[in-house]
This record gives sequence, structure tokens and C-alpha cells, in this order.
Amino acid sequence: MKICFCLLGLILLSLIGCNNNSLDEIWESTETFESGGKMRVATTTTIVRDLVRVIGGDEVDVFGLMGEGIDPHSYIERPTDMIALKSADVIFYSGLHLEEKLQENLEKLDDSYAVTAGIAKSELIIPEDKYEAYADPHVWGDPELWGHTIKVVVDVLVAKDAKNADLYKARGVTHLAEMLELKSWAKNRLSEVPVEHRILVTSHDAFMYYAKAFGFEVKAIDGLAPGDKGGPKKVKELVNFIQEKKLKMIFPESAANSKGISAIAKDAGVAVSAHELFADATGKLGVMESVDGETYDVGSYIGMIKHNINAIVEGLK
Amino acid sequence: MVLDPWGWMMMMCFFVALPCALLGAYLILRRMSLVGDAISHSALPGIVVAFAFVGDLSSPWLLVGAAVAGVLVTFLIEQIHRRTRIKQDSAIGIAFTSLFALGLVLIRVLLGDKVHLHQDSVLEGNVSHVTYAKTVRFLGLDVPDSLFPAAIVAVVTVALIIVFYRILTLSSFDAGLAASLGYSPGVVHYALMAVLSVVVVSAFEAVGAILVIALLILPGATAYLCTHRMKLMLFLSAVHALISSIAGIYISVWFNGKASAGVVIAGTLLFLLAWMIGPADGVLVKAIQRRRHLLD
Repeated sequence: MKICFCLLGLILLSLIGCNNNSLDEIWESTETFESGGKMRVATTTTIVRDLVRVIGGDEVDVFGLMGEGIDPHSYIERPTDMIALKSADVIFYSGLHLEEKLQENLEKLDDSYAVTAGIAKSELIIPEDKYEAYADPHVWGDPELWGHTIKVVVDVLVAKDAKNADLYKARGVTHLAEMLELKSWAKNRLSEVPVEHRILVTSHDAFMYYAKAFGFEVKAIDGLAPGDKGGPKKVKELVNFIQEKKLKMIFPESAANSKGISAIAKDAGVAVSAHELFADATGKLGVMESVDGETYDVGSYIGMIKHNINAIVEGLK
Repeated sequence: MVLDPWGWMMMMCFFVALPCALLGAYLILRRMSLVGDAISHSALPGIVVAFAFVGDLSSPWLLVGAAVAGVLVTFLIEQIHRRTRIKQDSAIGIAFTSLFALGLVLIRVLLGDKVHLHQDSVLEGNVSHVTYAKTVRFLGLDVPDSLFPAAIVAVVTVALIIVFYRILTLSSFDAGLAASLGYSPGVVHYALMAVLSVVVVSAFEAVGAILVIALLILPGATAYLCTHRMKLMLFLSAVHALISSIAGIYISVWFNGKASAGVVIAGTLLFLLAWMIGPADGVLVKAIQRRRHLLD
């Protein structure tokens, strides 16, 4: 019996003596911001990560919690994420309840900012049938609207790191111009799709702002978050809708299960696009795609939007 | 601060695991281990109905609804197996699955598409919120405030078990004797179930409805293999809860995943250890005893 207790005591002691994860795996340099290193910025989705990467440039050290193909609605932080959040100088998240459980936790931390705070309430789409007045969080569907988030990031970075203020401000101005240019490029490209074909059917309701910005009608199998399942009735309505409108193609998403969309395509006798749309996350950083002689990185926000628009135009024109 | 953040998560896990471990020891003796599973799953309809009334996902009334549903399911189980030929294990299977299914129906009927209340939010838990909670100055430390509800549940449960130790133990081993001594086994049963409901419901916020059952059964089962004395069994269950909480967080940091999974893995390893070298029923201990016996 006594041996047993001694053993237990030993196990306990050895466990308490273990070391924590080191910060090296998360941040580029071991030097903290206070001691002259780069500002450490933690971000949630890949879309927010790209925003901070573009504005912060080489002057900040960015860590993205969520990878590509991660559904931000149901993300629960891993131990490394907790270390990253604890050791970060600034945290940016998307907000509008996109990160659900994680957002509730992030709101409690100091120096955490929702980039969508830069968007006026009147610009937000609030689904009519929702229980609570939760706005649709997928604001990046409209590049012009997403452009309002730049100011939030620039202001926070400038306030934290005054010596690089001019750099951040200049990049913010350039990036905003890129957003506006992206929107007019998209409008131009989408004009190839006949008006009666401007209907987008996807896995979950992530394209409302896109629809508003570009005059599309959108339908989705799931509600605002993957897993927010529509019943059999909703599926049948969708199949009827697709047949009625004589749609040519419907689209799977990168971070959602494509089973539902394939089943519906089979029932409705419509093609499924070979290109997954990037709904809640960008593609993999560094993966280049070339369409019409134009090359872009699908891991960036601009590349993600271009990929989506090109896939939609190709499928529906 | 040394305790930040893993130390607080370990404490959170321990405060969740401790009352589960102690009550679980009694459940094992009463052959009712799976009642905990039943309670945790039937919480869903309770949460849905409570939400339909208050309309707020973070309201404490949701936990009240869940606990009421937990007591209801134990009542249902009791009625099914008392009034029919169905045995208790089947009664458990009938009662909680039907209540869970009812919960799924209620989500659709009462809430419709209006709100994103997903069954996964009941099935999976999370202890990481202690890392972000506002801290309160307590005993010279900055303690996360979300640690307190769990600590209070743990302390109250321990106190109740100490106070009612005699009655609980007696009625668990010999309900007939307890009744002849003037204790009503029915009252003891429902009181235990009510406490269990509260404990399970407050635990599944942290570890989820599936893994909470491991916290209930593993400590008691491990202790049962180490001793045949009730007081020692309770003590060892508590030790099991402590070690698996601490080791569990380390395991979760090591595989960079969920704390709840780490805690259960640690608890399972301890169980395997007790199975092999437990002083009372360990395989090795028995083998040695047999050899000694033969040598004599």
C-alpha cells in the first residue's frame, strides 16, 4: 500500500516538473516587442491573417490560429493557440460572432480587436428570420465592405508601434485601393454571366454580401454556419429551385463537407464545379493559380476572391 | 505566474473531476455507472426548453433546465425498471436516448432556423475559458472567476458526501438494511441523482456530455481495483481525479489538442496501471500471491 502511495507521489511530482511549450514554435523571433523585437500579432481566420500580413508587412510577426480548410464557426483553440493569444501584443479577429465560442473568449482579453468593427451597422445584412439580431458575419464577400476593416488594423498598429506608423498608413491606403480595384475587376468579370444565370448555390450561407455587391441571388443548403442543417424540406425546395431556374452549375466550399452539395446536384441533375469556393477561409498560402494570364496566390484575400469569381464565371457563363 | 494558463486549466479540470469521481464511486457500487451518461445526454431538451424561455445562450437558467432534465431522466429510468419487466440497463438506454431525440426535435420545433444552438455544443466541452476569464484577487492570487462555480460545486459535493457518508454507503451496499434502520432508500436515491445532475451538468460545460462519463467511472473503477475499503476507495478516486487532471493537461499540450481528451486518456492510463499492479486486484499482484501460495 505504502509503495503505491509513493509511486503516486512520484508520478505527481514528475508531472508538475514538466516544462511548458516554448514560444519558438509560434513566433519568428524570441525577442519580445518590449525588448526591441517585432510586434506579435495573433489572428483568427486566414482572411484576417492576410489583412494583417499585408498592412503589417515585415514589421510585425503574424500568427494565424486557423489554417485553410478550417471552419471558423466551430473552431476551438489548441494549446499552442492559447500560448499565442497569451503572448501576443495584439489580437485581431473577424467578429460579428463568426468565431462563436472562441470570440466569446477573445472579447475578454485586452488588446483584442474585431476588424469588422470598422463596418457601419447600416451596411450589415441582418437575416430577418434570426432569433437574435446577429448580423451575417461573412462581410468579406464584398471587397469594398471588407476594405472598411483596413482602418481598424491600421489604427491599432499605429497606436501600438508609432515608429512604423507611416509604413502602416501607407500600406493601408494602397490596400484600400486594391480592394476597390478588386471590386471593379470582379464586376467587370461577372458581366460575362448572363443576368438570368446570376444564381449561386453553395454549401452554407456565406455569400450574402457577395450577392448584394454583385447582383446575384444566393441559395445554400445550410444556414449561416456549416452544421446548421436544413431539413429534408429545405433540400427539396432547393432541388426544385435549381431545376426551375435551369442552373448550369452549383459550387462546393473548401471548408465545408461537399457531400450535401453533391447529393443535391445528383437530385437536381446539375453539374458540381471542380473548383471549391473559398467561403470562410482563403486557400493555402503560396499556392499560385493562373487564369487568363493573370497569376495570384489563393492564400491571400485578393487571390481568394479572384479564384471564386473566376470559378463562378467559368461555371455560369 | 506559474499557474498561467495550464495551472488554472488543471485546477478547473480537477474541480470538475473531483465531485464526478466521488459520486462515480457510489454509482459503481450501485451498478448505475451509465446513469451519468443518461443525465448528460438528456440535458439537451432541458437546455432547449430553458433557452426557448430566456432566449439567451449564456443564461444560467440553461443549466437549471439541464439539471431538471437530468433528475427527470433518473425518475423515468426508475419508473421503467420498477413498473415493467425491463431491467435497469435497458431502462437507461430507453430513457436517455428518447430524451436526447426529443431535444433534437425541440430544437427544430421551438427554435426553428432562428438560432444556432447545435447539439455539438452539448456533446463537446471546453475548459480553455479559464484562460481568458477576468481574475479575482483570492488568497493572494489572481484567480480566474470562472473557476469559482466549479470549485463551489466540488466543495459542496465533498461536504455532502462527508455529512451523509454513513447513509450513502449503507444504502449502496445493502438497501434492505438501510430501510430497516429507518432510512428511505428512495429518498437517498433521488437525492444522489439530484446532486449527480447538478455535478454532471456543470461538468459537461467543461468536458462535454460524452467524456463526463469517463470522469464518473474511471476514478471509481481504478480505486475499486486498488482497495476494498470504502473510505480509501473515495480517497483514491479523488487522487485519480487529481493526477488525471494534471497529467491530462500535459498530454493535451503534448498532442496540441483538447484538454478533455487528455484528461480522459490520463485517467484511462491510470486505470490500466491499477488493473496491472493494483494492490487489491492487480493482475501482477495476484500472480505474485498465487506463486507465494504455491511456494508455501
